[in-house]
Amino acid sequence: MSVMTRALPWLGGIAMILILPHVFSSGAAISIMSLIGFAIIFALSYNILLGQTGILSFGHAVYYGLGGFITAHALNIIAANKLPIPLPLVPLVGGIAGLLFAAPLGWVSTKRAGTAFSMISLGIGELVAACSLILRGFFGGEGGISTSRTSTLQLFGLTYGPQIQVYYLIGVWCLICSGLMYAFTRTPLGQICNAVRDNPERAEFVGYSTHMVRFLAFCIAGFFAGIAGGLAAIHYEIVTSGVVGAGPSGFVLLMTFIGGTGFFIGPILGAILLTAMQSLSDITGAWLLYLGMLFVLMVMYAPGGLAGLLLMHRQVATRQGLTRLVPAYGFAAVPGLSLFAGIIFFIETSHHVLVKSAEGMQMRLLGFSYEADSPTAWGLIAALIVVSYLAFRRTWPIVATAWTEATVGERSVPDDSKPKPPAKANVDGSASNSRSTITAAVR
Amino acid sequence: MTNAPALKLVDLHKSFGVTPIIRGVELAVRQGERHAIIGPNGAGKSTLFHLISGRFPLSSGHIWLKGEEITGLAPFEINRRGLSRSFQVTNIFPRLSVFENVRCGVLWSLGYRYSFWQGIERLRDARERAEEILEQINLTARRDIPAGLLSYAEQRSLEIGITIAGGADVIMLDEPTAGMSHSETDYAVDLIRKVSEGKTLIIVEHDMGVVFDLADRISVLVYGQVIATDTPERIRSNAAVQEAYLGTAEHADE
Repeated sequence: MSVMTRALPWLGGIAMILILPHVFSSGAAISIMSLIGFAIIFALSYNILLGQTGILSFGHAVYYGLGGFITAHALNIIAANKLPIPLPLVPLVGGIAGLLFAAPLGWVSTKRAGTAFSMISLGIGELVAACSLILRGFFGGEGGISTSRTSTLQLFGLTYGPQIQVYYLIGVWCLICSGLMYAFTRTPLGQICNAVRDNPERAEFVGYSTHMVRFLAFCIAGFFAGIAGGLAAIHYEIVTSGVVGAGPSGFVLLMTFIGGTGFFIGPILGAILLTAMQSLSDITGAWLLYLGMLFVLMVMYAPGGLAGLLLMHRQVATRQGLTRLVPAYGFAAVPGLSLFAGIIFFIETSHHVLVKSAEGMQMRLLGFSYEADSPTAWGLIAALIVVSYLAFRRTWPIVATAWTEATVGERSVPDDSKPKPPAKANVDGSASNSRSTITAAVR
Repeated sequence: MTNAPALKLVDLHKSFGVTPIIRGVELAVRQGERHAIIGPNGAGKSTLFHLISGRFPLSSGHIWLKGEEITGLAPFEINRRGLSRSFQVTNIFPRLSVFENVRCGVLWSLGYRYSFWQGIERLRDARERAEEILEQINLTARRDIPAGLLSYAEQRSLEIGITIAGGADVIMLDEPTAGMSHSETDYAVDLIRKVSEGKTLIIVEHDMGVVFDLADRISVLVYGQVIATDTPERIRSNAAVQEAYLGTAEHADE
């Protein structure tokens, strides 16, 4: 790869950060994009553990949250003593806090891998969450710790009062941290992390202490999680005890997994999607249900995550491949979308009946007005779901066939690392005779 | 130091629960020799390998590597002192490329340890050493393929490549030709002879052809004890060995 192609995604990222606030300039949009910025750092740091080193933590928000609390305290101390520390450097305090907490806790928990590690991380997470309610001085009890980002030393006339200035601050940190974490994947330790993920026993027999490798990965992940937490504290100007709990720990796992743990870009995609989905909470009270459904679907049908799906398509993104795939997708999209609409109607109407019945049964959804408890509405919803499901099932083989034809066309450039398409194309067969067997298998 | 045996085992014992598997093994492997360990199934050959390489803790006894006691050390500590091993069941990094597999094997010995401040692609010595080994094990053409997709025989070669990558001077191979065809076995024996040049080789092997072809000396392990250590010719004519092992070997060979 030339320097240019390697630099391209980063230049694209910089351009996005610069351009997006001009495209989506509303206050709410800039706020969401700020959230996405530190969610990306948080999810990437989590993937150092999950994707790179192969350890599943249920307590990563501990380092994110503690980074946030220490940052909030640091901001208050800086303001009270008028210390000459400008705001842009303060997230580093969160990072160092994350690192300092990750070191002792990580030393204990990384002694084991696999299920034992996950259980220990869960236990530590619960322990810190319990402490956050008991140690009121540090965690601020129910009210949390409030702070102000505008009372630090101001450089270049930047007050960091307006959200857009905070957005750019987060954007710069997001770029720096992503760059560093990417660079980390291409270091000796970064590679040995992969080796430990693949085969810890073998790693021991080429001279590496798997405990030390996992420990160092844990510390680095804690450091970046702390930076993300620090940026969150600066963004919200308040940190409450909830951030160290199981909720955020689970959410970062969802972001990373849905995005795709096997690819560097995966957690970035997951952070963008899930943070954007969080804003669905303004539209529907059942948004967590949609999130849960998405997670289950991804686990079952696309374990490579969004990044896996994208990469799978990049393999066949030739004109020949696309001429086969696009019509098939278009064909499947009609019943697919109507099935999706049917599920939305079902969930929202149920939600209305179960949760919002006090407001009356009249509801509006996707341009339709109807009574949530009318048998006709329920009958139509059921019919929509059943009919679209049956139709969708019939279109699926068409997509599968298109897939195999598109991939067979690509045989001249074999790349075995690609995720398997739905039709389970063979890996080693020769081009000429594999086509007939595949299509036969699909039918 | 130079006169110390490459590997010395003194009164090694290992029990799993109340079942003794290794019952007082005594063995001295000379520096630079090719030493085969043979014995009927269940004699404890693989367990002995696991004990020497630190994978299992000892019940009692002592192990010296080149004059230095390594009893009770962790696998990575033993590896860093110059003992490297392969496994009976293929043990590679399946999602890393063939080249990366070998490079993981050379990193520690070149002093890169846990470095996270150097770009791995810029480490010329690591790349050159890994390429050299790929050339030796004849997998240069497959260097960018995920190791999990190699054929079985190729994975066995890669396993040997990872084992020798760190430059250890005591190499232990656990049934390197198990499950191979005749031609693959011949190839593997040539490879083993080539890569163990100037090193101490300890090999567990069921294929008697391979053993008598390759080994300078042979130790026979029966029910957790070494009943004889000698040259191939003398082992062949040893009455106790014939009774305990070779008499059944023709049938147990496969």
